[in-house]
Order: sequence, then structure tokens, then C-alpha cells
Amino acid sequence: MDLLTLAWKNLWRSRRRTLITLAALTFSLMLIQAFHNLSYGVYSSMIDSGVRAGTGHLVVYQDGYLQNRDEKLSFDPQNLVAEIGQIDGVEAVLPRLYLPGLAQSSRESRSILLTGVDPVHERKTNPFLRQLTDQQWLLSLDGREAILGSRLLKELQLKRGHKFVVTLQHSSGELVSEMFRVRGVIKTGIKSVDRSLLMVGQARAAELVGTPDRVHELAVILKEQKSGHGVFPFLQDLLEGRQDLEGLTWEKAMPNLYNAIRLDYASQKFIFVIMMMIVTIGVINTLLMSVMERFREFGTILAIGASHAKLRTLVFIEALLLGVVSMVLGSCFGALATWYLQAVGIDMRNFISGSLEFGGVVFDPVLRASWDLPWMIKISFYLLLLSFIAAIYPSIKAGRISPAAAMRHH
Amino acid sequence: MALISLKSVTKIYPLGHQEVVAVDEFSLSIDAGEFVVLAGPSGSGKTTLLNMIGCLDQPTRGEIWLDGHDIGCASQKELSDLRLRKVGFIFQDYNLIPVLTAAENAEFTLMLQQVEKKQRRKRVLDLFSALGLDGLENRKPSDLSGGQQQRVAIARAMASGPAVILADEPTASLDSQTSEELLLLMQKLNEEQGATFVFSSHDPLVISHAKRVVRLRDGRLESDQ
Repeated sequence: MDLLTLAWKNLWRSRRRTLITLAALTFSLMLIQAFHNLSYGVYSSMIDSGVRAGTGHLVVYQDGYLQNRDEKLSFDPQNLVAEIGQIDGVEAVLPRLYLPGLAQSSRESRSILLTGVDPVHERKTNPFLRQLTDQQWLLSLDGREAILGSRLLKELQLKRGHKFVVTLQHSSGELVSEMFRVRGVIKTGIKSVDRSLLMVGQARAAELVGTPDRVHELAVILKEQKSGHGVFPFLQDLLEGRQDLEGLTWEKAMPNLYNAIRLDYASQKFIFVIMMMIVTIGVINTLLMSVMERFREFGTILAIGASHAKLRTLVFIEALLLGVVSMVLGSCFGALATWYLQAVGIDMRNFISGSLEFGGVVFDPVLRASWDLPWMIKISFYLLLLSFIAAIYPSIKAGRISPAAAMRHH
Repeated sequence: MALISLKSVTKIYPLGHQEVVAVDEFSLSIDAGEFVVLAGPSGSGKTTLLNMIGCLDQPTRGEIWLDGHDIGCASQKELSDLRLRKVGFIFQDYNLIPVLTAAENAEFTLMLQQVEKKQRRKRVLDLFSALGLDGLENRKPSDLSGGQQQRVAIARAMASGPAVILADEPTASLDSQTSEELLLLMQKLNEEQGATFVFSSHDPLVISHAKRVVRLRDGRLESDQ
């Protein structure tokens, strides 16, 4: 028998109270871990699909292009596509050209953003293009086929195979027009994109505006999203000799998405903090009640030779045990809940109709969790720390007991 | 040199805006191996004296020496150390820790003294044997009779081999037959093991077993026989 055994036995004096406190701690930890992992999974999926369809995990622009989207700020990538492609962890480098213009069918005209892409690499990485078959995708870099956003197609009253005219501003300032044929249609779910997207071969687009070999963007797609900050320094090294270019991470290049995720997660963290505070008050209540009920007994323990420090230690050990048990149970249940949320997920289509757009990115309507083990460990230790903090006041109370007064207490 | 020495001890308790003098200019000397009863009616200051001798409380004025240690000048840490090493307590209501078994209760002071587990178990089993508690080691206090609980309390008080065992009304919750048995047991421990016992009691049975009876009235020494 030692203090640990005594503390454990003390916890089970009031079995119901201890079980309720343990349940509150365990359930809170489970909820926090499961919902964090769910958010982590959803955010990861949003970031991945967002950056793959958007700027890439890392991106190279001409200085100032990100701020004002001036089509004159294009650059010649020279060997950069090949060099960046050789960095360890890079999956693909996508050269893109963005040209605002006008699309005209025989019935309607609409403003568009013509995007010149590398058909081979773009299709491999852009999640929205996976829905297209070979017969619906661009044939070459310089062909006259085009992929249109679904809404644009509808507004122009076109169908697959129809011809239409695109008018752009040439680098010399003149207007230039060219006829394209609708080869495929994509529906991203993002209204602004579906209304203006027009994708053609990058070489054709560049030639049309008189800037052959130039691009506005080099989107760097990584094999693993998490490795972005590890790869970024290598990209910067490559750009050292190109003072006119800047390399950015997706957080800087897609601030809307980044800030939307940050804001969403901040509100979740606030709820987590409130939950933790509530359970901490529960632990304080349990420990304090337990100390007050044992006032006379603590007097006896002091009388037979225990020091006040021993009593304080005893209360802290009781809190530690509560914390450890709920940490283990909460983590087990948190892992089970994460496993379920990963395997089955939550189908938002049961609750919300239409596509789900967040921060300019459409995400999968089935929300799925993803494991964030370091965070799970961290939060379970926070719980342990909170149990300790909750023991401070009760242990101070226990440490102030006068043995003679406690012996007179009934 | 006396084991316990009280010199002009006064203890005053504040009671609201007033003060209550519980012990007034009390002097006493107790040698090792004595079997003493502090007798007197309720409110005569017996328990207050016992608490001060047992380092649970300190005098307002005067000096109390326990085995060469000045209790009045000791810090809280020194007092708890003195309680652990020099004093064994037996209480009226036994005051065993309900979640621990009889043996664990008796071991408690040895655990506080960081005595090795095997050694303390052996010491407790020896004591249980001497106190007629064989076979009750693993019972919880709630499964023991009043007399058995008080025997466990005696074992707990004796386990660490203290200089003095202080018993505050130890028979008050027991019937006369059990009280008699316990008093004989404590007398035996006093005679055979030389343990010093100081009781506070107004029970004639306890007083009849004492070798020395110190009578108190209103916090003052009335007689010492």
C-alpha cells in the first residue's frame, strides 16, 4: 500500500461521482479528438483539391501578379519546369496562362477567363478534370479544342462539338479572335468558375496573344501536402537567379481558402476550450467535494504523522489518476470515432442540397476524418494538465487543514 | 530526563470576540514507560493537553518538551515529523481509513516512514498476532467490530515504535467487557514492551487500570496520584 494505491481507492469511495467525472472527461476528449480529426480530414481534402485545381501547393509568379492579376505580368519559365520537377517530393509542375476575354456563340457572348494549360499534366492532377473521358479532353498544347465551365456552356447556349469565338487582347494592344470547338464540359460547383472557365492548350493561348513560351503561373503539385514547407526552400534556391519571379506557398497564394480554414478552425478551438473548461470545473468539483468529505479523515492522517505536503500530493495523485484514466479511455474512444469517421464519414447530402463551397473550394459532401496523431497525443496531455490544474485549489484546501481542528470536526 | 515535560502551559482559544482558557498554567512531567491517565470532566482540558503533547497543537504560553524536542518552538514540518516518529494516536472513534484494509491501516505510519514493504508487513503481522487480530488483516474497518477496530488502531499507533502512545477516550465507544480487554492488552504492552501510554478519560474503568492519575478541573491540575 502506498499513496498511489490510497489515491486509487479514495477515488472509488463515491463510485457514481467518479464515474460521472470520468465519463465527462472521456467523452470530452473523444469529441475533441474526433471532431479535430474530422476537420483535419476535411481541411486536408479541401486544401488538396483546392490547390490541385488552383495555384498548386507551391507556385511561381512574376512579381506583383498575385496582387493585380495583370496579364502583362507573364514570364518565360525557361528550364524552371524541368528543374522544379526534379526536386524531391514534387509530383508535377503545371505551366498556366490566364487571359481575360470574351467568348461569343452565334446567340450569346460572355466574359471569360481563358486558361492555357498543359493537357497531359493538368489532367493528371486537377481533380475536376477526372470526370472527363479521353474524348472530352484536350488533344494537344496547340489545338483548337476547348473545355468550358458548365454554366458558361449553358449561357452561351452551346453543346459539345459546337464552335464559338474567343476574343482576347494581343500583347501589342490589338484585339485578336480565334475560333474554338467545345470538346468537354466541367462542373466544379463553384459558380464563378463554372461561369467563366475556358480551358485550352497553353501553346495555343500563348500564340494567340503573341507571347509564345510565356506563362503567368507555374503551379507546383507535391506528392504529399504536408511536405510543402520542406520543399519550399529548394524552390526558392532555384528562383535565386530570377529576381523577377517570386515563389509562394499555397497559404499565400490562396489567402481566401487559408483564411476561411483558419477562421473555421478558430471557432472550433473556441468550442474545444469551452468544453475543456467545463470538464475542468467538473474535476475541481469532484476533488473539492472529496476533500471536504474527508476533512476529519485528513485530520487523522495528519495526526498519525503525514505532512501537509503528503496530503497535497495525495490530492494531486487522485487528480492524476482521473486524468490518466480518462486520457486513455478518451483516446481509445477518440480513435474509434476517428476510425468510423474515416471509414464511413458524415454524408452532408442528407442535410444540405447542392454543392458545398467553402473558401472558394468545393469539397466532398461526405466529410471524412484523417488521423492527426501528434495532435491527439498533445490534446490528451492537455487534459492531463487540466486535471492537474483542477487539483490546485482542492490541494491548497487540504494543505491548510489544521489537524486539531479537523479532529474536532463532525 | 522526563519523556514529556510541561512547564506552565496555557492554551487559549479565541471564541468569537472572546477567549476561552482551555489549559491554565499547567505543569506535568511524565517518564518513559509510564501508564498515565489524564482524568477530569468534560471541558477540563484533557483533550487539549493530549493534542499539545501529541504535537497537534501548540501552547499559547509555556513550554512542552517531548523526548528532548520543544513543541512550542517547532515549525509545522517539525511537528508533523515529531508526530510521525515520536507519537502514536488512539482515538475514541478509532478513525481508521475506511478504504484501507486492517493491515494497510496499521501499516500506514510505516509507509509514511518509508519502511520497506516486506518489513512493514512483518511488523504489522507480529502486532496483529499480539493483539489477537490474526486472520483479520484483509478485512475493511466496516467489516470489523468496534473492539477489533480499536485493536487495529492500537496496532497502527504501536507499529512505528513511538516514544509515547496517546489515547483520547479510547473506550468511550466500546462496551465494558471490550474496554476491559483492551485496557488489559495495553497494560500488557506497557509492561512487556515498555510502551508509554497517556490516556485522557473520565471512564472509571480506565482510571482503575492507571498507575498514575492526573486529575484536571477547568484547565488546571487538581491532583497527581
